[in-house]
Amino acid sequence: MEFPSQLLYAQDQALLAIMIFLIILGMGSSLTINDFKAVARSPKGVLIGFLSQFGLMPLIALGLSIVLGLHPAFAIAIILIGCLPGGTTSNMFAYFSRGSVALSISMTTASTVVALFMMPILLNLYTVRFTNQISETMRAAGAETDFVIPTGNIISSLVLVLVPVVMGMILRKKSPGWAKTAEDTAGFVAIMVILYLILTAFVRHGGLFLQTPIQVYIATIGIGMAGFFFGYWFSRLVGMYPLFQRAISLETGIQNGPVSFAIILLSFNEPVQSQMLWLAILYSTFIVMSSSVITLYFRRKGKFDWDIYKNTQIHNRLFGENYITNYPDGFLPARLKKDPSQGTSPVQQRE
Amino acid sequence: MQKIKNERIVAENLADLYQKAADRFDTLPAFATREKALQWKPVSFRGLYHQGLDLATGLIDLGVEARDHVGLFGENRFEWILSDYAVQFCGAADVPRGSDVSDHELEYIVNHAGIKVCFVETETLQNRLLLLKDRLPDLRHIIVMDPDARIEEGVLKLTDIQLAGARLRNEGDRRVFERIKGIRPDDLFTLIYTSGTTGKPKGVMLTHANMISQTENLPGIHNPNDRTLSVLPVWHVFERVIEMYTISFGGCTYYSNIKNLGEDMVHVEPTFMASAPRLWEKIHEKILKGVKRSHPVRQVLFHTAYFLSRQYRASLSFLSNKTLAVKKKRWWELMILYPFHLVRWLIVLPWFGFFNAAVLERIRLSAGGSLGATISGGGALPGHIDRFFNYVGIPVLEGYGLTETSPVISVRSKHNLVVGTVGPPIRETSIRIVDVDSGAVLYPNKNMPHDGRSLRGEIQVRGPQLMAGYYKEEELTSKAFQDGWFRTGDLGMVTHNDCLKILGRSKATIVLSSGENVEPEPIEMRLQQSRYIEQCMLVGQDQKSLGVLIVPELEAFRQTSSPPASHQELAQNKEANRIISQEIRRLISASNGFKSYELIRDFRLLNRSFRVGHELTNLFKVKRHVVTKEFNDVIQDLFINGTSKNI
Repeated sequence: MEFPSQLLYAQDQALLAIMIFLIILGMGSSLTINDFKAVARSPKGVLIGFLSQFGLMPLIALGLSIVLGLHPAFAIAIILIGCLPGGTTSNMFAYFSRGSVALSISMTTASTVVALFMMPILLNLYTVRFTNQISETMRAAGAETDFVIPTGNIISSLVLVLVPVVMGMILRKKSPGWAKTAEDTAGFVAIMVILYLILTAFVRHGGLFLQTPIQVYIATIGIGMAGFFFGYWFSRLVGMYPLFQRAISLETGIQNGPVSFAIILLSFNEPVQSQMLWLAILYSTFIVMSSSVITLYFRRKGKFDWDIYKNTQIHNRLFGENYITNYPDGFLPARLKKDPSQGTSPVQQRE
Repeated sequence: MQKIKNERIVAENLADLYQKAADRFDTLPAFATREKALQWKPVSFRGLYHQGLDLATGLIDLGVEARDHVGLFGENRFEWILSDYAVQFCGAADVPRGSDVSDHELEYIVNHAGIKVCFVETETLQNRLLLLKDRLPDLRHIIVMDPDARIEEGVLKLTDIQLAGARLRNEGDRRVFERIKGIRPDDLFTLIYTSGTTGKPKGVMLTHANMISQTENLPGIHNPNDRTLSVLPVWHVFERVIEMYTISFGGCTYYSNIKNLGEDMVHVEPTFMASAPRLWEKIHEKILKGVKRSHPVRQVLFHTAYFLSRQYRASLSFLSNKTLAVKKKRWWELMILYPFHLVRWLIVLPWFGFFNAAVLERIRLSAGGSLGATISGGGALPGHIDRFFNYVGIPVLEGYGLTETSPVISVRSKHNLVVGTVGPPIRETSIRIVDVDSGAVLYPNKNMPHDGRSLRGEIQVRGPQLMAGYYKEEELTSKAFQDGWFRTGDLGMVTHNDCLKILGRSKATIVLSSGENVEPEPIEMRLQQSRYIEQCMLVGQDQKSLGVLIVPELEAFRQTSSPPASHQELAQNKEANRIISQEIRRLISASNGFKSYELIRDFRLLNRSFRVGHELTNLFKVKRHVVTKEFNDVIQDLFINGTSKNI
């Protein structure tokens, strides 16, 4: 396949960099030190989320690239996406899907930090066969060196990414009003960036959409959907409450797209960079759509247990922490009988 | 997928409902009273039931008989609902009224209803009733609800009666259960006196069957997870129906008030409430103020979101046939419009999705965020307010009804939300539209085009919610009905998507946006005592205050320094306006016995007199709907510029 070697011009890259900075700044603006402390308070949820994000997702990505027989550059990109930490987008979707926003934020926070060392390890582990393939092609073309995953660069890009996160957190502390604005604007900017990338790709390389193999489309849509699916059932099977199942499901499927742009631009070179970037763009586009659909589904499906949780929580808020809500027989589904507050109020947990 | 359960209790009467709710919902909270912002006191269904039985036993011991009328004067509070429980358990009916009741009304109601035992909320009310005591021959006992009130001699305390009743029940007193068994569906549960400004209030007799039919027929799916916020006065039947309905599905009613409404909405996160237009106007004001104060970037985001939502919802309601359909659309119009709306809907959808989530959700959170669908009643919701809340995603369901219809006749449902109408009639309820002059049935009428849809006339109702009649007013009662149909006195039409649209009133009563009823005739008659006023008509339906249209008496002004040639000239004359203003102030004032909401805030001089056969009947009676139509722009001007109080 002939792939345009320069998907983005230099000025686009600069623009993209600024936008990524803004988006990640917005992400930081939504975080406080308390969110890090909260991780310690709900270790079980975060642990399940961690297993799901760094255990399931890279495996799903590897599985997809093998089953679909993806071109090595695409395969590396999809595995890179599989290893990414979660983004703030997932917090918003968790909110609207009636999932636990607190857990979603905790998982995003934890995974952003953990990714510093998990990402390079996983990436090296799962991409071996694909880097070898690229090396062979390169050697056949007369190159002297092997293709390796630029681990050092990736780590430094990840550290670089943390800079705007910290800046955002400082902004939040100094001026909550501005932080809120930054947070809102970031969401809007993110959509604009995706649209801009898609449109420029369309204008400059109109045939790109047709040239892209169908497998790439399947992989970019499939990775998110598979993440939602396995994240949901994994957390359900280990006995998490519905509130947390939805948060974990979305956190697993939704990866931090802007971070992948940053890593690809800062750490990879041609011949793989453009292809990787293209795949990341496609993933970012499709994940917004599929998360919207899943969110609408969860929202409907979760209305009943959410209502129970809300009502119980409000009883404790207004009538005191020791108030116990007893629903009539047959009203609560079996899995909520022991705790209608779904783990959020100690007094409501019964034998 | 977990189905949302509908948990409505089916009961035979209110006492039965209270009993069944206690059995089914047991320790769940039934009512909660605010002590501090984040400290509320709940009472469970079971607890309230037993307290009610105690108080009822106390009342029986005091001599309250089945089918007696028990006065219940006060505002929303726990003791109010407790007293209501007790009165219902006694097999008696209560006569509710707010604490703003005038001495005149108090005297009339207590005597007309033959009240022997009367609950009053406060010390003040107790003292006022005691002063009137000589003129209330039937009244034997006054019971004060407020536990902190200073009790005068001979007056009883609610808690004392409750304690006495509890003691009796401990000793084996089972009379209250006999009473409950003896309640028949057509027994009264309440006798509500509607406020007439002059003349006498009318006692609307509502039966257990009326109320039970409402709890069964209101649209919506609710269960014990729902929270109802109570702000409207409970002695209005609308608020009361919502509270009874809330009991029937096991929800908890949280007693708030106008002052704390904003805060309580955020803390309680209500899912349901009875509301009135004035309330929504206030919330609307507050939201817009909040937006204005916010960061410029966020203001832009809000306006973008609002714009997109408007586009999105307009197309969506067109595509789902939920636009106000006053006229039947022609097929070729649909052919052109349908694709247009479909394309617009698709284009706007993703943008709307984002802005709805990122921006409008914040607005919804200021109303608690959980508000599913809220019924607004007691007056027409102004169009722009209605649309605003619909666009930001807080569906306000405008309903329609009267005290005489217990009250709900029709209401928009969440799935049938046609802005500009009051929705289709509720279950078991039929409406018809009758020509005001000829009395012929316009809708439903097979001989009319589209069965008579979009024809205007008086709305008449038939259904299980119709009152038993006006207490001791047989003539009035028979006038209110026309071959089994209740005459609402409101003008309306049925739209092409079978919703009811209210067009105005054929009765003269003006309902202000605060919910106060004003009978215009006595005020107009008083105004016409002035030698400067030839004719006048009071306006102010759904407005905050009254205004008046005045045809000045040319002759009277001829005697002034600069005699005017015509009504037209006079209307512009500053001196004339000053004189009329003075006259209004002289004739209609608080010192003349008019209530604050009856005072006229503004007026306009008309540029011609009313003509017989047009604005006047052959008997020189003002045809209100004709004047309203003819001088529509004057009225509009009066209320838009009405803030400049000319009087």
